Amino acid sequence: MEEYRQPIILLFVALYMVACIWVGLWAMRRTKSAGDFFVAGRGLGPWVVSLAVFSSTLSGFGFVGGPGLVYATGLSSIWMAVCSALGFATGYYLIAKRIRMIAEVRNAMSLPDIVFARYGSDAARLLTAGTILLGVLGYLATQILAMGVVLQSILAGTEMFANISLIASIAISSAVLIFYCVTGGIVASVYTDLVQGIVMIIAGALVVITAASVFGGGFAEATDILLASDGEDVMPFGTLGPMASLSWYFLFGLGLAGQPHVATKMMMNRKLSDNKVILPMTVFGYVIAAMLWVSVGIIMRALVLGDVALPLSGADEAAPAFLSTYAHPVLAGVVFAGLFAAIMSTADGFLNIGAAAIIHDIPKALRGRSLNNELFWARTATIVLSLVAAAIALSSGQLIAILGAFGWGTFAAALVPVVLIGLNWKQASARAAIASITVSLIINFAIQIFQIQIPYAISGGFLAMLTSMILFIGLSLLEKPKPLPKDIDRIMEL
Amino acid sequence: MKIIHVVFALLLVIAGITIFVLAGDPPMGATGVPHPTIAGLSMGGDGTAKLAEIGRAPYYFQISVILLAGSLLYMGVPEHRRDTMLKACFAAGLAFALFVWIMLWAGYESYLATGETTVIFGFPAPTNWMFWGVWGSFVAFDLFYVFAFRRYFLHPDDEAAFEALVQELDAERGTD
Repeated sequence: MEEYRQPIILLFVALYMVACIWVGLWAMRRTKSAGDFFVAGRGLGPWVVSLAVFSSTLSGFGFVGGPGLVYATGLSSIWMAVCSALGFATGYYLIAKRIRMIAEVRNAMSLPDIVFARYGSDAARLLTAGTILLGVLGYLATQILAMGVVLQSILAGTEMFANISLIASIAISSAVLIFYCVTGGIVASVYTDLVQGIVMIIAGALVVITAASVFGGGFAEATDILLASDGEDVMPFGTLGPMASLSWYFLFGLGLAGQPHVATKMMMNRKLSDNKVILPMTVFGYVIAAMLWVSVGIIMRALVLGDVALPLSGADEAAPAFLSTYAHPVLAGVVFAGLFAAIMSTADGFLNIGAAAIIHDIPKALRGRSLNNELFWARTATIVLSLVAAAIALSSGQLIAILGAFGWGTFAAALVPVVLIGLNWKQASARAAIASITVSLIINFAIQIFQIQIPYAISGGFLAMLTSMILFIGLSLLEKPKPLPKDIDRIMEL
Repeated sequence: MKIIHVVFALLLVIAGITIFVLAGDPPMGATGVPHPTIAGLSMGGDGTAKLAEIGRAPYYFQISVILLAGSLLYMGVPEHRRDTMLKACFAAGLAFALFVWIMLWAGYESYLATGETTVIFGFPAPTNWMFWGVWGSFVAFDLFYVFAFRRYFLHPDDEAAFEALVQELDAERGTD
């Protein structure tokens, strides 16, 4: 069977992509309005929502960039994953109920709609939409780059496509993504998320078993190799040290609820009481799938440091190289499909909220109403966004995980105070929201554009988020509380 | 003191610790050193030297973050539902999270001092505290959400009040 490894992998990936296209065509028949395109009419069941929330959270950043980071820096980045239980708790304790209630009473279609309902400020709505657009471009670029890297590594193993370029790989994989996002909108997105979530859980579980059998002594043997060659890398803070790891814990743990592609999905469930079931399913799905992040990274690092395998050409090659070399061909096929599932499930969410920002939120903030024929423009914006993000992916030259951390940091720093605190504290003011979003964007982009190196590798996103949270609460405390609209005031009592 | 003041105070403490760390002069290899022969791979280097300037700042940083996380989660329970039982459950949950963190840090300091560690379930003991302990300590809060959902997070009275609000708004829109 080994000689058919590449064809088998290609077959699984092709089947997965055909399934995505089929879902796109099926969803197109159910997408008749902008409301269907953006929030699926708030009629989704708990299984669909929970798998959509977890698969959107764990993206190409985690499935491809994560193992790469562990390969390069040991366990430092695992703090981004172990904080997931806290992250989902903040999401469900603090925003899931309120965001769903506001969506129903105000017929909200996006996070900027929720921000406008809460603060009554067009400037806050515009800034939120602008933040989403900027973050989406960075984060979407990560996903598109990850898709290209994975597809290239698969096709390069075949005779016919041995010399395929990264650009061609990005073009092929993006075409499938764009197709089902354009045809089916959020309906296609969440139903592909359902399939993708299941594939990711299966892939995560199977990869752990495979990784444990690479060394005769299992993970303990890999740990012994790492302890002998370095030691710090397999200790809890990895090679980057405690401050880097803990700043990521803060950013990813408390920042998860500020991720608009995750928060938006909390508006879509049919019943408020479904949240009780959605939270544990989300946490369970995430932890199983995230095991791929740890196990592949640690095994590849031990293989290279133990002189069993040759060094990788790049850290992002860790997951594809592991699957191509150590996994059974059928398993490799399933897991490669899982890699695409992880990437696409997040990318489709980004395309959806990015398109909403362009054709719904920004026009509403600037001229009081959204565009005419929203559905047509939503589909056009989806295509344009994909092309711009692909261009960024090709020109950035950065690691997938680093680009992803920047996107996450942009969202978390700007939106956590405004959404997470603002929906739970009546005194939070519009001015504070505007100031905190603006300052967080300035800090995040200054660090990224000027490539500022922060001592102890403390995350720039963490610094921006901490500053914006302090500013938001501090400024709100200085202002006299203003009365809220009746519906929002009553919702915030519940 | 309101819970928002606690949140604000904890954020200021975290900011203070962060400024203390940033103000110091990081030692060589504070974020690892490049592998001598393998490109793109970094090594941890001397863990003790990394903490020479900042001491136990990360330890106190994380204690503040855990307390902040607990305070934020507490904000998510409607004010009129915050009873003694809730406070007791939160106190117990946070005590567990702090215990896990103390065990993790103690294990790490012991490794730095002796260069030795116990391998359990395939990984060093402090790493297991990170994998299962840090993750599990907030899974406890996730489980609390599930089991106390109707008591604290969506009480039947609150759900009915929301339905009444929706009907009221529908009626108002209908008469406009």
